[in-house]
Order: sequence, then C-alpha cells, then structure tokens
Amino acid sequence: MSDAGPTQVLVVEDDPHLAAGLMENLRAEGYEVAAAGDGEQALGWLASRACALIVLDVMLPGIDGFALCRALRERGDSTPVLFLTARGDPADRVRGLEAGGDDYLAKPFHLQEFLLRVRAIVRRWQWYRSASASPATAVLRFGGNEVDFRAFRARAWNGEAQELTEKEAMILKVLAEQGGQIVSREDLLERVWGYDVFPSTRTVDNFILRLRKRFEKDPANPQHFLTVWGVGYRFLKEGGA
Amino acid sequence: MKATRVFQLTALALVGVSAVQVGWWLLDQHAYTVQKVRSARAGYSAQVAAAQALLDSGASAPRVTQLLPDIVVSGGRAALAPQLDAALTSEERRRYNQYAWEGSFFLLALAACIAVIARALRAEARVHEEQDSFLALVSHQFKTPLASLQLSLETLALRAPPPEAARTLIERMLADVARMELMVTQILESARLERGRVDLRPEAVQLAGAVARVLAQLEERSRLAQAAVTSEIDAALYVLSDPLALDVVLRNVLENALAAVEHAGGGRIACSAAAAGGVVELAVRDGGVGFAAVDGARLFEKYTRLPGGGSRYGTGLGLFIVRRLMELARGTVSATSDGVGRGATITLRWPADARAGSAAAGEAGRAAPAGEPRP
Repeated sequence: MSDAGPTQVLVVEDDPHLAAGLMENLRAEGYEVAAAGDGEQALGWLASRACALIVLDVMLPGIDGFALCRALRERGDSTPVLFLTARGDPADRVRGLEAGGDDYLAKPFHLQEFLLRVRAIVRRWQWYRSASASPATAVLRFGGNEVDFRAFRARAWNGEAQELTEKEAMILKVLAEQGGQIVSREDLLERVWGYDVFPSTRTVDNFILRLRKRFEKDPANPQHFLTVWGVGYRFLKEGGA
Repeated sequence: MKATRVFQLTALALVGVSAVQVGWWLLDQHAYTVQKVRSARAGYSAQVAAAQALLDSGASAPRVTQLLPDIVVSGGRAALAPQLDAALTSEERRRYNQYAWEGSFFLLALAACIAVIARALRAEARVHEEQDSFLALVSHQFKTPLASLQLSLETLALRAPPPEAARTLIERMLADVARMELMVTQILESARLERGRVDLRPEAVQLAGAVARVLAQLEERSRLAQAAVTSEIDAALYVLSDPLALDVVLRNVLENALAAVEHAGGGRIACSAAAAGGVVELAVRDGGVGFAAVDGARLFEKYTRLPGGGSRYGTGLGLFIVRRLMELARGTVSATSDGVGRGATITLRWPADARAGSAAAGEAGRAAPAGEPRP
C-alpha cells in the first residue's frame, strides 16, 4: 500500500455474489482488489503479500473470521480488518473488535456506508504510516521509554520489551503529534477507531490505562499520560504532573 | 407459551410439595404406630405386674383373672394372654404393611407426575432451543442473499453501469431472490412436515417425467451453477408417491446437487434409475464438493450444513425434508461420497407397488407426459 500505486484490499467472503459485488465496487473506487473464499486461502494470500485492508466475513467455512483475525494479530500482522457479518448484535461487535478488528458492519449494509468505512480505515492507516515514515517520526523517546511506531515495539524505562497493539501505537501517535496539547476522547476515538465503532469513550480510558502501565514509572501518578478531567488527555514528553 | 411454562413449573412444585407431604405423613404414621404399640405394651406390662403383685399377696388366680381379664395365670406366674399379644403384633404388622403399600403407591404416583412434568419441561426447553437456533440460522441465512441483493441494487443506483454489467447485476439479483424463495419454501415445507399437516395421496407417477419437469424448472439455476445435468431414466419406471411430494423431494435433491456443484466451480450432475428387487432406485450423482464419510448420516438431520459444503447457503432443511417425505412414502434415502471434493451420490428408493409395477410393465417404452400421474 504505497501512496504511489492503488491501494490493495483483500475481500474474504464465501458468498460468490456478495464477494463479486464488493470487489466490483471497490475496484470502481480505485482500489486494487483480491479475493479469498475462505480463511485458509486468505492466510495463504497474506503469507506472501500485503494489503491496506482486509474485508472479512465472519461466518466462513473452516476457520471463521474472528479466528482468522486473531491468527493474523498473533503473527504480528497489523493489517486493518473490517468485519462483515450477518450477526450484528453488540456482543458480536465487541467479540470482533476484541479479536483485533478495526470496524464492524452488519449485513445487509448500505453500499455507501461500506465504502465510507473502507475509506476511513484506509485513511487512518495511511495517516499512521506516513506519520511514522521518516526516521524522526518513526521513533518516540520519552522518560526513558523508546517506541518504534513502524515495528509496533517498545522498550520501557525499566528495560522491558513491549509489543504494542496497533490501537495503542495509534493513540500514542495521535497524542505525541499534539505536542502537549489536550486531545479530547472523542478526537481520539475518531482518529483511531472511526466515528461509531465503540459505544462509549470509556474504551479510550482503558487504552490510556494500558499505556500508563507500559510506560509510566508509577501508573497511579502519571508523568506523561495526563488526564484533563472532563476533557481528555495530554501527553508530555518530558514528564510533569 | 410463558403461561404454560408457569403452569408446568407450578404443577411441578405442587407435586414436589405433595411428595414431601406424603413422606412426612408416612414417617408420622410410623412414629404414631410405634408410640401406640409401645404404650399398649407398657399398659399390659403394668397389668402383668399388678396381677403378679396380687398373686404374691395371696389372691387366687381366678380372682386375679376376674379383675384383670387380659392376664392369664399359670404356675403362680402372671402373663399377658397369648392371643392378645399375637393380636397386638398382628395389628402392628398390618399397619406397617398398610403404610408401606399406600406410601409406595402415592410416592410412585407422585414420582411419575414429576417425571412427566420434568419431561414436558425438558421437551419444551429443547423446542425453545431449536426455535432460537432456527431463528438465528434463518436470520443469518437470509441476511447474506439480502445483503447481496441490496448491494447489487445500490450498485445499479450508484454507478449506472453499462448494459452488460447491469445484466450481470440483474442476474445476480434474480439468483439471490430465488435463493430466498427456496429458503422460504423449505421452511414452510419443514414446518408442515413437523406438524404432521401433510395429506399425501400416493399414486403411480412416471419417474422420468417427474425428474424432467423439475430439471426444466431448474434450468436457469443449472446454467448459473455451471452444472451439466443429464437424466437417463427409463420411461417405464413408475414410483408410488404423492406427485407433489415427489416434486418436492426431487427439487430438494437436485437443488442440493446444484449447490454442491456450484461451490466446486461447476461440474456434472447425472440422474439414473433402475428397478430391482421390488424397489425403484433413483441415483443423483454430482461432481460437487462431496463430504467426509462420517458426515453421511448427519446430512439428513435438520439444520445440517457441512463445512466446505455447498449447502451452507441454504437453511439446512432441504435433505431433512427429503428424508421425512421419503419416510412417509415408505421409501428411503441415503448419501455416499468418496470424500470432500470428490462428489456425492444421493440415492432415493421407493418400494415397488404391485399396481405401479404391473402398470409400468404394461407401458414400457411409452412415456407419460412429464411428471404427470398415470391415468
């Protein structure tokens, strides 16, 4: 997924009609599209190629969409995933996002909403990658911690190696880019997840807690990830309460 | 449904309380009898002691027995009259027996009630579970063709595609509608079969004609599935079946074969039939996705959709309907496959009927109009 060429999308859908419809529309929007009819095929395709987005059906023959997404995350593949599923209840949404998905769309869906979500995910990731492209922006050092945004790895102040999830890295990136300015929870949600994926901004709070545990010497008295009550968060590179 | 469940649970609680009550009553009666016998024996012992005291004080034996008629005197010793002792023991035993029989009867009757209610509750829970899983399955199975239909329609509206692409989209939409129509039909047929609301009127039906008629209905579907379908059935073969039920059986079997072939990217489907040993046998062989040998029997259960199988687009009811209708026609159905990816054969067998057999023999080579019953 370079900025020069078309953006590659992989559609993993076992229903041939739906797969064909999705592919035609994605191609019409300028994406380069590949298709896989089941999880095994998708894993095979992803073993040798990369893409900007995986549109993933949940109910697949053999390995299901959730398991496929977990398998990708476990092997360090952070390619964004948009789940498509006939099961649209909140519990399933949460399951999908816990499996490492970036967004979730219940069938039947509106074409324009689908395309909007695809664009939003791709845009977020293109922003993240371009914001981490140069050696100066790829690595963040603060309070004895060192974060490598491209490898999703970090070394904490106590020398401990950390594997960051893509969401943690993106939150850190958004906060670091603001250079000490306050970022609201809503802004973080919008920049990292999109507009309506999660039901509440509590999710952001949980991720901030996780970042504090990873990088703060005393997570109960944070020096870098500061809460601005009722507004959001502020990241201080140099530390300070 | 909820009121029934409340009634069943209340009845179960009442019967349970009654069982406890009967148990308590038994224990109470037992304790009462023990206490009564004990006090009777204590009373008699007191009389014996009094009689002995009188004897020891010089009273004559006749005088003592006159005063205490339940006592006998023998050799200067007072004792309880043997017949009284025997009567007391007999009464004690009679009461214990009565409690044992009556108590067992009531407890058994109550246990039977509890078992019946518990069974009804379990059956109802199973029905609820089946309904839930059925609803989940149906909503899931409908949403995929519905999503495809919506996508095609919105693509037409958004993109204004050229005629050739529009035709492809329209064909796709028609196929999606057909899929949903088949699902609705299967759900209704399955519900009718389960409630026993079927009025089958068996008659001799020409098999070749019935198969040809269903194949004609599925011609477009076969083209879309890239299936090459052949039928080589002797026009002389007649089966004894309700014509409409036969139509449903054949449609479901052929739909299943088409789905299997479609998912394998196309292939052949061959229908052949033979009469042997008093049985008319129709085999539908497909070059589709096949199935593992262990899954053969499961294919005919409700909601079965095997992994990798083409039937997962359906409701999982098609072959269940086939099995039920074949059972009602006193026939059988079986499925075999050499394994996943190696095709499958569904074999339908109808018992030969004297009427059909003789009629078939007499009309060998003269085909009746497709699918029509014999006059």
